[in-house]
Amino acid sequence: MSGSARRLGLLFWASVGWMVLVCGAALLAPWLPIDDPEAIGGDSGRNAAYASPSWSAWFGTDGLARDVFSRSIHGARVSLVVGFVAIVLGLLVGGTLGLLAGYFRGVLDRIVTFVFVVLLSFPSLVLAILVVTLLDRGLVTIAATLGLLAIAPVGRVARAATIQFAERDFVTAARMIGAGHGRILGRELLPNVAVPVGSLALLGMAVAIVAEGGLAFLGLSVAEGTTWGTLILDGSETQTLTDAPWVALCPIAVLFLTVLALNLAGDRVRRMTDTRTSLL
Amino acid sequence: MAGRLSYAARRVAMAIGLLLAVSALTFGAMNLLGDPLFNLLGPAAEDTSPAGLERIEAARAEYHLDDPLPVRYVRWLGDFATGDMGVQFSSDGQPPVSDLVVERLPRTAVLLVLAQVLATLIAIPWALLAAPRVDSWFDRLSTVSTFLVVAVPNFALGVVLKYVFSIRLGWFPQTYVADDPALSRLYQLLLPAITIALPAAAVYQRLLRDDLATTLQEEYILMARAKGLARRAILFRHALRPSLFSFVTVFGLTTGALIGGSLVVENIFRVPGLGSAIVEAVVREDFPVVLAIVMVVAIVFVVVNFVVDAVYTAIDPRVRK
Repeated sequence: MSGSARRLGLLFWASVGWMVLVCGAALLAPWLPIDDPEAIGGDSGRNAAYASPSWSAWFGTDGLARDVFSRSIHGARVSLVVGFVAIVLGLLVGGTLGLLAGYFRGVLDRIVTFVFVVLLSFPSLVLAILVVTLLDRGLVTIAATLGLLAIAPVGRVARAATIQFAERDFVTAARMIGAGHGRILGRELLPNVAVPVGSLALLGMAVAIVAEGGLAFLGLSVAEGTTWGTLILDGSETQTLTDAPWVALCPIAVLFLTVLALNLAGDRVRRMTDTRTSLL
Repeated sequence: MAGRLSYAARRVAMAIGLLLAVSALTFGAMNLLGDPLFNLLGPAAEDTSPAGLERIEAARAEYHLDDPLPVRYVRWLGDFATGDMGVQFSSDGQPPVSDLVVERLPRTAVLLVLAQVLATLIAIPWALLAAPRVDSWFDRLSTVSTFLVVAVPNFALGVVLKYVFSIRLGWFPQTYVADDPALSRLYQLLLPAITIALPAAAVYQRLLRDDLATTLQEEYILMARAKGLARRAILFRHALRPSLFSFVTVFGLTTGALIGGSLVVENIFRVPGLGSAIVEAVVREDFPVVLAIVMVVAIVFVVVNFVVDAVYTAIDPRVRK
């Protein structure tokens, strides 16, 4: 039982492979031999509008005869950056707040817990709508807003884990030999709390990528550049979906596989770390 | 009895505190993120013609923008509570935002209720089928499919369902017609409701299946079997109810995610609810509309969770301690 729980398995590595492929393609997009995503009619200028998938345009073309495959890869650049920045922000801020609240308890804990409860009282997408509407639709704003959404869920896990570890003998021992708060937090608690909190990273990134797509459908995604969300939105208009379903369905497939890969890998990592803490 | 009362009082106080905090956050966002005058007046706030400046002065006086923030918050809260949500800015201040909310909210609400009903109707039988056969091929297949369904973003699922069932197969209408009779409008809401319900059903099934499987290992179930009770009677009468506790909690929490989901899904199926209102308002930079919708949705969410909590307390007396 514990043996199989500790092995990562084929699905995990398939997921990692897919993520490497997508991230690699996104990183190298400007140098890959693919069409310019904004070029009308493709690089040759001879592609027709709404051409179905073929050897020259794998995902077909959209209403402006732009190459959907190339647009999906370039869209990945923005979507992945938004997802990555959001979860890193959530882990840093939420993790720190949860760690401090769980260690010091008292008034600080009450305030932080209340802030988490208030943040969680907004349906997450609605909080994002509020902030993005009032600020702007820049890449940084959107990523930071989605990061804000991750703070409370991450913070709760961090707080719970900290409370659990703070009662352990090794923390008491550290205190007995005269270690200060900073040392106990940094050297004793952080490495232990980082495991359950870090295991949320992959799942959180999936959530942020999906949330960006949701914002796109509300007209609130990144204003400049194309994301997976805006690509799918463009293709989902009734007329386009009837005449050229590939414009929406191809990016949907890429998005689905990416979210699935992040979920599978994240789930695997979470379960492995779970097993380890319970074996202690 | 006294303990019970104070528990209820604490819950009510908590809910009221949350509503105040949520409204303060919304109000604070409106006044601290960006220019409050612009947030109230829109493009007109930058009009420097004499007439424009006059209008800006009038707005400053009307919204008491020179008063300190807490004073304005209390006044705004009072207005909001009495149904005055300000005016939409693009169309010369008419109609009031509250009219729009009253027109759109019921559609989103019906969509949401329909989705939750569907999700429950799918999840309970599904879990009842899987739980007694843990690790059978049926159970494994349903675990895999719940995992897949949860990984599909709601808007992607919506686009796929719209393509397959309403464009290719033609089983469902492609748009929502506000003037149709109630029953056909309900039918028009069915496909969007299924879009929202499927991932929720998958979450509920997983949870219920786990809880049911645990309950089925209890000794009183063994006792019931030894008495010779039929499998079905054991499942429905003895196992289901004690397995519903975490389902009820998650049902409440999921409502929040589903509200967000329905705002998005409405736009795919052209249901003129709150989600479509947000899109229209964003295009016109009509902030009062967006803020009113954010507030209304947050209030509904807090209330729903309060009710779920009350239900939970009613079915499981242990929580009160």
